[in-house]
Amino acid sequence: MRCLTAVLAVLFATLVAGTGFAQGDTPKGLFLTTDYPSQTVRAGEVTTIRLKLTNAGLPPEPVALALKDVPAGWKIDILGGGQPVAAAMPGVNQDVGLQLRVEVPKDAKPGSSKVLISAKGPIAQSVELPLTLTVGTETPAKLSIKSRLPSLRGTPRSAFEYTITVGNDSGKDLTVALSAQGPANFQTTFTEGFGSNEISSIPIEAGQTKDIKVKVTPPRDVKAGDYPVLVKVASEGATAELRVTLQVSGQGRLALSTRDGRLSGEAEVGKSSTYTLVLANDGTAPIEEVEMSGTVPTNWKVEFNPKTIPSLAPNEKKDVAVVVTPADKAIAGDYVASFRANGRGESASADFRITVTTSTLWGIVGVGIIAVALLVLLGAVARFGRR
Amino acid sequence: MADNVIEARGLLKLYGSQRAVDAIDLEIHRGEIFGLLGPNGAGKTTAILMMLGLTEISGGSVEVLGFNPVREPLEVKRRVGYLPDSVGFYDHLTARENLAYTARLLDIPRSQAGRRIMEALESVKLADVVDKRVATFSRGMRQRLGIAEIVMKQAEVAILDEPTSGLDPHATFELLEMIRGLKRTGVAVLLSSHLLDRVQSVCDRVALFNKGKIALMGTVVQLANQVLGAGHPILVEAQGIDVAAALRGVEGVQSVVPEGPQESGGGAWRVMADRDVRAAAAQRIVSAGGSLTRLADLQPSLEEVYTRYFQEARHAA
Amino acid sequence: MPRSAVRRAGSPFTGLRPVFMKELSDHLSSVRMLVLTLFVIVFGALPVGFALNDLRNVVVSDPYLFLRIFTVTPERVGLSFIEALNFIIPLMAIGLGFDSINSEFNRRTLSRVLSQPLYRDALLLGKFLGGLATLAVALVALWLIVLGAGLLLLGLPPRGVEVARGIGFLVVAIAYGGVWLAVAMLFSVIFRSTATSALCSLGLWLFFLILWPMIASVITVGFTPSQFTSIDQMVAVAELGQALERLSPNILFREAVVGLLNPETRSLGFMLPMQMRGAIPGAPLPLDQSLILIWPPLTGLIAGMIVLFTVAYIVFQREEVRA
Repeated sequence: MRCLTAVLAVLFATLVAGTGFAQGDTPKGLFLTTDYPSQTVRAGEVTTIRLKLTNAGLPPEPVALALKDVPAGWKIDILGGGQPVAAAMPGVNQDVGLQLRVEVPKDAKPGSSKVLISAKGPIAQSVELPLTLTVGTETPAKLSIKSRLPSLRGTPRSAFEYTITVGNDSGKDLTVALSAQGPANFQTTFTEGFGSNEISSIPIEAGQTKDIKVKVTPPRDVKAGDYPVLVKVASEGATAELRVTLQVSGQGRLALSTRDGRLSGEAEVGKSSTYTLVLANDGTAPIEEVEMSGTVPTNWKVEFNPKTIPSLAPNEKKDVAVVVTPADKAIAGDYVASFRANGRGESASADFRITVTTSTLWGIVGVGIIAVALLVLLGAVARFGRR
Repeated sequence: MADNVIEARGLLKLYGSQRAVDAIDLEIHRGEIFGLLGPNGAGKTTAILMMLGLTEISGGSVEVLGFNPVREPLEVKRRVGYLPDSVGFYDHLTARENLAYTARLLDIPRSQAGRRIMEALESVKLADVVDKRVATFSRGMRQRLGIAEIVMKQAEVAILDEPTSGLDPHATFELLEMIRGLKRTGVAVLLSSHLLDRVQSVCDRVALFNKGKIALMGTVVQLANQVLGAGHPILVEAQGIDVAAALRGVEGVQSVVPEGPQESGGGAWRVMADRDVRAAAAQRIVSAGGSLTRLADLQPSLEEVYTRYFQEARHAA
Repeated sequence: MPRSAVRRAGSPFTGLRPVFMKELSDHLSSVRMLVLTLFVIVFGALPVGFALNDLRNVVVSDPYLFLRIFTVTPERVGLSFIEALNFIIPLMAIGLGFDSINSEFNRRTLSRVLSQPLYRDALLLGKFLGGLATLAVALVALWLIVLGAGLLLLGLPPRGVEVARGIGFLVVAIAYGGVWLAVAMLFSVIFRSTATSALCSLGLWLFFLILWPMIASVITVGFTPSQFTSIDQMVAVAELGQALERLSPNILFREAVVGLLNPETRSLGFMLPMQMRGAIPGAPLPLDQSLILIWPPLTGLIAGMIVLFTVAYIVFQREEVRA
């Protein structure tokens, strides 16, 4: 077994060596690297520079980290995991991320400074990373905005939700203000990607992107058509704009009421009473085939005239006569009748309070009974009276 | 005719098949006191009620002061005062209040009513108990209050039903006095009674009622003549003479009948003559040597008439 | 005999006014009335007092709070004011009427009064109206007392509608009293003995109060088939039972009063569940509808009063005046 392992190891080593040599370049050793070895920093600000200490094929060992040539007044720290560190120990073929926290004094003069970062292992060679930090004028923040679906289609009552991606393309964290500009009476709200909280601004780290939802609510009575909404993001002078489009298709909306809004009436037992309902289309598209129906107490009759309305254009009003006949044996008092209008996919209903009155016929009968009694009395007076 | 305040012609009242009042004819003159006499149940009250229109008339006619009580009972009742048999008053009211109620019923103006009530009560001597409750009144006082009601009413005719029944002699005397007082003020009085002797003294004319019929009608004297025979009866009591023989010769004497048990040598005789023979009779007895112990003009007693009449009626039956 | 052809002159109402005034003043000043008033106060005060006490603790705003004084059944008394009135009123009416004619006979005042220029018509009617007016005075006074107590203890005035319903209640109560007054007067005409007359009136009252509901239900049960074959049949039986009960003035009074003082009452009769479908529960009827609702019992009471009076009248007219 051991023998085999040794053989394999030798084989592997030769292989590696062979390929290495064949390719000619397989670095081995300790490397200290950064993405941008020459960077711009701003006076009075802290800039964080990412470093990477890579151990390629060496046994792990602590590597001491040091800075050289720090310009006067500058404060540079090496941070690892957020804490200042003095040494790092990358495993074999692994790397350790480090940050260089560069605090540039406010009065730093523009110009380039070289800073040397060295990493020195006890056995291995020492590596150095020269960084050129240029104190420059402020670089403008840069934002990007894009949407995968910038054009949505819906009815006036639909929710138009656009997911937009805002990117911070600058080297520093930004708080991005969000705004939108749409036609009059269009309401816009921003929410975080998956959250429900409404937001008006959002922080984005340097170089990162965030998804934001923009919800546009058009007014109910909006006409069919395309409506652009300009979504703007802005931060520290940087702005980005995105035009999203609402393609609003028309929709009808039914409303059932009476002319004076009073939803009550009187009806006499067994006699038909007519009320005039007003059916209106508050929507933006015509409604076809509106059918009237009603729910009334047992044994009552209800009829509509007209029973169906072939078409109701937007903003059109139509009087519908409803004839309610309480049952012959209905008892006086208040009842509820429900009237409904059903169009295609649209409906409206109104609860109508009907005060049922009974006929005064029985009252007349009662008077008649009294009259008969009085007649009997008068007859008695005529027959037996005045004694 | 104008002098008749009440005039009944064939007045009839039937209770079923029973004739309570059987076709009576009656006339009562203005200003007279007319007595309606007869036993209880003879139909006196029924006749009175018909005159007042208080009960139906089965036949015949009656007119009171020219009004027909059947047709115009209100007019009759307005002018006729009625004192029913054992009259009642509202016990919880005073005499004055009782009369005030009647005054309101009569529609007497308030301004006159008070004075008329007081005058009426004074006339029946009840002025001192004006404000006493009637509950405390004796029977006589109630009857007098009834008379006062008629006085207050200023009735032209007063109909009194058994006004003296149940009264003591003194109260009866007082009441009869008041009835005479009514007559003096020109009121015609119709009174009914079964107490003949009391009525006799005040009545100008009487009608004897029997079984719904008027048996006899007229003055007491006329009745006596009719029943007991016409003539002038006197009572003679003498001693020591044959009165009968002595008086038979007197002109006008029709009969001499012994009255009561005859004693030896004397007794009482009832002498019937066609004129007043008292002077002649006395002269004859004295001249015949008899001693005249009593000589009386025999007023015909209604009682006598009544008794005789019904005896005869019973005999006839 | 041309008896019926006889036309008597003069108004039958001649003398009505003095008779009426005398009866009214006699009643109002009589000891009997005092006793009846005490009776009413004792029987009326308890339910009203406890009802007011209960109502003061009611938090829910009630648009007909005042009417509740009449209708609420206080737990501690178990008798609402209107139920108390349901037997107080007949007692009062009987108390006022049971001796109205026969006492005149017995005191021998009748023929004397009738010999004054008035007809019996006026005497009987005057006595009836006098009794009715006395009842009305007593009831109005009672009503005002209850109203005043309500004002004082509830601290709010009744609304116009409530007052109107209250006045309607008074009318019903007076008509109800009139029925019993006519009953009592009928007996006072029939019987010369006041004791007999009072006994008969009270007996009839007890009959209608206690026995009649039982008899009505017994009769109804007799007409009930062993199994109902249709709803109509069931309704017919229920309506028969109700019609029988309504022969009692007590029931008529109760129905009329409940319909007036409980505005939520929609029907006095038997109601099918399907008649209530779609109805808004607890919605009060407007006053005119309540009036239509109670019209039959009210007219029944008034017509009954007139008919009973007519019977008493005929009997009285046919009687002989002589005692």
